[in-house]
Amino acid sequence: MAELLLDPNIRLWVFLPIVIITFLVGIVRHYVSIILSSQKKIELLQVQDSQVMIRARLLRENGKYLPRQSFAMRRHWFNNEDTGYFKVQKRATASQNPMTDPGMMTDMLKGNVTNVLPMIVIGGWINWMFSGFLTTKVPFPLTLRFKPMLQRGVELAYLDASWVSSASWYFLNVFGLRTIYTLVLGENNAADQSKVMQEQMSGPAMAMPPDSKAAFKAEWEALEITEHRWALASSEADILASTEQSQ
Amino acid sequence: MSYNNYEDLSRNEIIDLLRQWRDNNERKGEEVLTLFDTIIPVFNKLGSEKYLILEQVIYAALDCHYYETAMWWIMLLNMEFPGSLRVMRYKAACLEAEEKYDEALEILDNIIKSDETNAAARKRRICILKAQGLITDAIKELVDYLKKFMSDMEAWQELSELYLQVQEYSKAAFCAEELILHQPHNHLMHQRLADIRYTMGGMENMELAKSYYCQAIKLNPDNTRALLGLFLVTNALVGQYKSAGGAKRSEAWRLSQWAQRSAAPDLAAAMLTLAITD
Repeated sequence: MAELLLDPNIRLWVFLPIVIITFLVGIVRHYVSIILSSQKKIELLQVQDSQVMIRARLLRENGKYLPRQSFAMRRHWFNNEDTGYFKVQKRATASQNPMTDPGMMTDMLKGNVTNVLPMIVIGGWINWMFSGFLTTKVPFPLTLRFKPMLQRGVELAYLDASWVSSASWYFLNVFGLRTIYTLVLGENNAADQSKVMQEQMSGPAMAMPPDSKAAFKAEWEALEITEHRWALASSEADILASTEQSQ
Repeated sequence: MSYNNYEDLSRNEIIDLLRQWRDNNERKGEEVLTLFDTIIPVFNKLGSEKYLILEQVIYAALDCHYYETAMWWIMLLNMEFPGSLRVMRYKAACLEAEEKYDEALEILDNIIKSDETNAAARKRRICILKAQGLITDAIKELVDYLKKFMSDMEAWQELSELYLQVQEYSKAAFCAEELILHQPHNHLMHQRLADIRYTMGGMENMELAKSYYCQAIKLNPDNTRALLGLFLVTNALVGQYKSAGGAKRSEAWRLSQWAQRSAAPDLAAAMLTLAITD
């Protein structure tokens, strides 16, 4: 098959502009998200709850290093039917629907404005403006399976799979410029698209406000069934045994 | 590294050294100030790290009682980040160093009012009370603080020390136990609790002290203080057991013998000082 020759104008007016546009859009998005980002206010009650949970967990895990009396005293403080912390502290059940929380809704909106919207608008525009070009060729042979990935918008059955179409070049840029962004903007910048994708995967689970009531109940149960086993009971014997061994 | 070698360092090495001290929380006030003088020419090219260095230098200046210069740098930071709580905290620290406690407290109260979760500001308040010698007030504040931030190890440690100062040993022991919960594999925590239990005295506490000293030695066989403690505790216990006799007494006796042997070179000197102080 004869080698294809690309018009040098394609390099000047399609290949490079796509790189520059995606790069600049990433930078603009970084700064826009800095402007829009709101510092999340943490409530004192939330901090208190999480610290109580940590302390209860530590008591469960390391309680064996305390004398039985000290352990029982602490468990009593957490779990006593009438005065225990987990019984006395009443927390409202966290609202199940994030839509009822206006703060969360604006956060979601901001996320969409900075991440999803530009992706759709710029992607659509690039698709419309530069559709139907082959822009470059990767310098190694590829199998046919790569065709839909690299040749979006150019459906030619007999074209070698290593040719890259303009729309695909745009997507390669969107995901491939991450290291350049870290160079230019520093670590943890907001320009990175692949991070956004990850967040969308795991986002909903994280964004749910922690439900203290359920967490307290679970911790109460776990603490209730914890048995105290004095870990230092054998420490003297161990020391003596080790001395006899060394003698 | 000795003091004179600093002049041979290049600027990048100095910046690295400062960063290392910052990360390790080393308070080398005078050294930081000398090094800072040499990097002033390139200071503006450091990017966002320069603010971190500035913070370090402010604390160094406060340590060396250069209040005027510290205030000047705080002003610089304030111009860069107007209204920042972090900068406010430095202002409070400066006033605190100058012993203008009321003004410092006012600033800290403002910080807490605008950000209720600011643990550092709350802790500074307690430090001011402690510096003024109001130990009981400091304890009250610290207990209040710990009700909200229950897993703050530093605070538990501080409370334990404050209780020791007012000789509330059982409460101090409670705090020391809390420290063990947080760091069960740190031999110093076990040793601390054992020290407190030994000081409290009484059969039961002595037994506990013996266990915790043994645990501390198990975690770190080189802990001479724990060895000495074990020796003293077991000696006392052997005296107590005299009437009871039996297995417990012989175990305590063997432990005491062993502690004396393994700490012998150090223990001889320690016993000598003890004898002198007695």
